[in-house]
Amino acid sequence: MLTITDLSVNYGAVQALSNVSIEVPKGEVTAVIGANGAGKSTLMRTLSGLVKPGSGSATVGDVTITGRKPEDIVRLGVSLVPEGRSTIPELTVEENLRLGGLWRDKAARNSTHAQVFDLFPVLAQRRKMRADTLSGGERQQLAIGRALMSDPRVLLLDEPSLGLAPLIVTQILELVSRLASESDLAVLLVEQNAVTALRVATTGVVLNLGKVVMVGSGAEIAADEQLRHAYLGY
Amino acid sequence: MTTFIDYVLGGLGSGAIIALMALALVLIWRSTRVVNFAQVGQAMFTTFIALSIQTWTGSWYIALIGALAAGAVLGVIVQYLVLRPVKRNDTSGAIIATFGVLIALQAAAGMIWPGGSQAFPQPFNNSGIEFAGRVWPISIYDFVVIGITALLVLGLTLLFTKTSLGLSMRAAAFNPEVAKLSGVRVSRVLTFGWALAGSVGAVAGILVAPVSTISPNSFDILLVYAFTVAVIGGLDSLIGAISIGVFTGLIISLVSGYSDSGNAPVVALLLLALNLILKPEGIFSHHKARSV
Repeated sequence: MLTITDLSVNYGAVQALSNVSIEVPKGEVTAVIGANGAGKSTLMRTLSGLVKPGSGSATVGDVTITGRKPEDIVRLGVSLVPEGRSTIPELTVEENLRLGGLWRDKAARNSTHAQVFDLFPVLAQRRKMRADTLSGGERQQLAIGRALMSDPRVLLLDEPSLGLAPLIVTQILELVSRLASESDLAVLLVEQNAVTALRVATTGVVLNLGKVVMVGSGAEIAADEQLRHAYLGY
Repeated sequence: MTTFIDYVLGGLGSGAIIALMALALVLIWRSTRVVNFAQVGQAMFTTFIALSIQTWTGSWYIALIGALAAGAVLGVIVQYLVLRPVKRNDTSGAIIATFGVLIALQAAAGMIWPGGSQAFPQPFNNSGIEFAGRVWPISIYDFVVIGITALLVLGLTLLFTKTSLGLSMRAAAFNPEVAKLSGVRVSRVLTFGWALAGSVGAVAGILVAPVSTISPNSFDILLVYAFTVAVIGGLDSLIGAISIGVFTGLIISLVSGYSDSGNAPVVALLLLALNLILKPEGIFSHHKARSV
């Protein structure tokens, strides 16, 4: 579904990504893992259009998304849940969700809205409340809900575990993995927390200093002790 | 007590106008974090345009519509020609650039409409209303001013809370990155905000002109009051701009009435200083603190 080919990104003289190629099939979670500074967030920001790549490309189906603006990329079916506080605290839960699909026609938007409330019942209960009154886990659900409001074919998740309790992380990731298989969604998950990510991922990609050092099944990577020591630090 | 009531009534109309100008400043600040010091210059310029339209057509209503349209166009021009090239992560540069626009507009107006201060014809009766055996210091025109202000505030409130465009504007103001990722065309939304603020400022200009006069510098004092009001209100609050604006109009009227009208700007600046010492983030701000 999402094909990343030889993608390179430079910040001035620093090469943040060099010739990264990843295939993200639909219906599965693909996890990119690696230490701080491996280039994980740069990859996500490039795919969503916030950062312009130096060379290489990313395509969804036959459409090239690299080089386009974020506003256009989301319309092509690629939606990012950015790292950290990606909800707008001053808006209500309902408004944060509506924001995610404003560009779509009303009927389509309303039907997705209902689906998101089914998926995250707590958001339906808190719809009138400001987003900053939510707990960390609820806010992450809201952020994912907002991204789903565009009815994406590719969902990009940047460090969803950040600052959340392990139990909540597991719940959220299991839900994402179920969502991927049930609605044929291609999920690209970026995580520093490798153990959690590999548990739900069909395929794992290890990123180190901007380069792909290994691609394998979640179990393979989890079993490779040397690799874990060298790149993942556990 | 009757004098006090008279002064309060006398301050309502000017309070509404100050509130409108403060509202224009707040609209720009919310979305760009820039205080647009050119706002009164834009309003002065569009009021001169309105005066020309009024002279040609003889209709105040056509002049009002002309001012609204000219305000929107001028707002977009200022954003495109000055703010877009300058901004690029340089907020203080952008603020100084708005001062440059103010000076340029004043110079241009002096050349296009020479001859110093000009009177703007009274569109409505501006003498005190006679009621219950006495003349009150509030006129039909004051009611028109208050009515137009109330309509604009109502319209803006509905725009921001009930429409998709309003939600896009708020999202773009609070977090442009999340707005873009959600599909909001942020730069278009910002341009619309400049047009909207330009129109609101233009209305303040055409409303104040008949009770003062119009010259390239005649709105400078309005900038002082509107800026004071916007800062005290918290810079990002529409309710703050309106309520503090009307309140300031009353204070000015009371100070002018009980002492001398020359003291009013001093009192306004004292209020501003007091506010910056006691509650620098403003009374109605969403944000907890702002460094001054």
